[in-house]
Amino acid sequence: MSEWLVEVFQPFLALALAPGLVGFIRWVKARLQSRSGPPPWQPYRELRKLFRKEAVVSGNASWLFRFAPYVLFASTLAIAFLVPLLVVPRHFDMVGDLFVVVYLLLLGTFWLALAGLDVGSAFGGMGSSRAVTVAALSEPTIATAIFSLALGAGSTNLGAIVMATMSEPSTVLTPGHLLAFAALAIVTIAEAGRLPVDNPATHLELTMIHEAMILEYSGRYLALLQCGSWLKLFVFFSLLANLFFPWGVATTLTLGALAWAVVTLLLKLVLLAVALAVLETRVAKLRLFRVPELLSTSFLLALLAITSSFLLR
Amino acid sequence: MNSVFSQMAVLGSSLTLIFGLILLWRRSVHAYVTAFLWQSLVLAGVVATVAYFHRDPELYFVAALLLLLKGLVIPRLLRRMEQRYGAERELQPYVNTATSLLISGLLVLFAYALARPLVALSQLPTRAGIPLALGLIFVSLFVIASRKKALTQVIGFLMLENGIALLAVLGTYGIPLVVEIGVFLDLLLGFIVMQIFIYRIRETFESSDVDQLGRLRH
Repeated sequence: MSEWLVEVFQPFLALALAPGLVGFIRWVKARLQSRSGPPPWQPYRELRKLFRKEAVVSGNASWLFRFAPYVLFASTLAIAFLVPLLVVPRHFDMVGDLFVVVYLLLLGTFWLALAGLDVGSAFGGMGSSRAVTVAALSEPTIATAIFSLALGAGSTNLGAIVMATMSEPSTVLTPGHLLAFAALAIVTIAEAGRLPVDNPATHLELTMIHEAMILEYSGRYLALLQCGSWLKLFVFFSLLANLFFPWGVATTLTLGALAWAVVTLLLKLVLLAVALAVLETRVAKLRLFRVPELLSTSFLLALLAITSSFLLR
Repeated sequence: MNSVFSQMAVLGSSLTLIFGLILLWRRSVHAYVTAFLWQSLVLAGVVATVAYFHRDPELYFVAALLLLLKGLVIPRLLRRMEQRYGAERELQPYVNTATSLLISGLLVLFAYALARPLVALSQLPTRAGIPLALGLIFVSLFVIASRKKALTQVIGFLMLENGIALLAVLGTYGIPLVVEIGVFLDLLLGFIVMQIFIYRIRETFESSDVDQLGRLRH
C-alpha cells in the first residue's frame, strides 16, 4: 500500500519542483551574466499571478484552443507518473513503458501545434510548423536513445532499465550508454525549447518556436501551458539523471533510503541545471535551418548507440 | 583486468569516431583542426592503453611519436595554413549536412555488418572497437569525396590515416616499429606535398575550392 502512496506522490513532487528548477536555471544564468536576476522562486509567483488573472480568448478561437492547454498539461503529468524519480521497482511500469512516454510527449506537441494554428494568427502558424519540424526529428531520437538502454536491460520499462544499470554499474561507460546520453541531451534541449534551438527568455523574436504558439494565450490557460512546459523540462532532466546515472534511487521503502533518493535527485538536477545554464550562456541561438542538422546529429548518435549496444550485447 | 582494457579500448575508439563525425556537422576549418587534434590525442591514448595492458614497450614509443607528429606538428602546420588563407568555411559541400550525417550513419552500420565475422572470430579484448575503426575509415573517405575545400579534404585524409592506425593497433596490437616509422614519414611527406598543392591551387584560383580544378581542362 505504502509503495503505491509513494508512487502516486512522485508526479506531484515533480510538479512542485518543476517551476523551481526553471527558476534556478534562470537565476544561475543571471549570475553568470553578472545580473542579479529574479530569485529562483519567481516562477511560482508567475503561476499564482496567471491563475488569478482573467483569460482573454480571441473571438476566432474554437474549442480546440481552450482544450489544448489541459491536454498538454495532463499528458505531461501522465509522463511524470511513468518516469522513475525516487523508487524502483515500480508498479506504474505495468501501465506504460518508454513507448507510452514517447507517444504522450507527441500527443502534447500535437495539441499545442493545433492550438497554435487554431486562431489563425501568422505567428501561431509559424510556431506550429517549426514545432512539428523539430518534433518529427526529435521524437524518434528519444525512442531510439532510450531503446538502446532497453536492449541492455532486456525490458522497455523505465524502472527495469534503472534496475539493470544499478545492478551492473560498469555499463555506464559503454559507448552505447554514452552515445545515447549525448543524443538524449541534445533532444532535451530541443524539446524543452532551450538555447541554442529556441530562446526561452523572449517572445519578441521572429525565430521563436514555443513562444510563438502560446502567444495568444493568457490567464489560467497560459499558466497551464507554462507549467506543462516546465514539467516537460523536469521530466527530461530526471530521465537524463536517473536512466544514465541511477545511483541514489531507492530500492527499498525505508525512510532513510527515500530521503537519500530525494537528496541525490536534487543534486543531479542541480548539476544538470548548472550545465544547461553554462551552455545557454556560452552559445548563441542557431539559425533555424541549422536546427534540423543538429537534430540529425543527435539521431545519428542514437543510431550508433543502438547499433553498438545491439552488437556488443 | 581484461574487461577494463576492452572498455577503455571501445571508449577510445568511439571517441575517435565521434571526433571524425564533427567534420560533417561543423563548417569552420578551425573546428576541423581542433577535432583532428583531439582525435589524435585520443588515438595516442588508445595506443598507450594497449601498450600498458599488452606490456609492449615499443607501442609506448609509437604513442609518443603519434603525440609528437599528429598532436603537435601537423595541427600547428594546419593552423598556420588556416591563418594564411583566412577563415575558410565549408559552405556548400556536394552533399548537405543532414544527408551526409545520415549517410555516415549508414556507413557505420555497414562497417558493423562488415566486421561482424571478424569480431565473432577474434579473441582479442579490443575486438569490439574494430567496427568503429572501420567506420571511421569509411566516414573519412566520405568526407574526402563530399567536401569541396582542399583543406577539409586534407583533414579528411589525416583522419583516414588515424582510422587505419586505430584499426592496426586494435586488430593486431600494432605493426612493427620500423613500418610504423615509415608510415609516419610517408604521412609527413604526403602532408607537405598536399600543403604545396593547396598553395598552388590558391595561387591559381584564389580559393581552395577543388571544384575550380575542372577549369584546368581548357
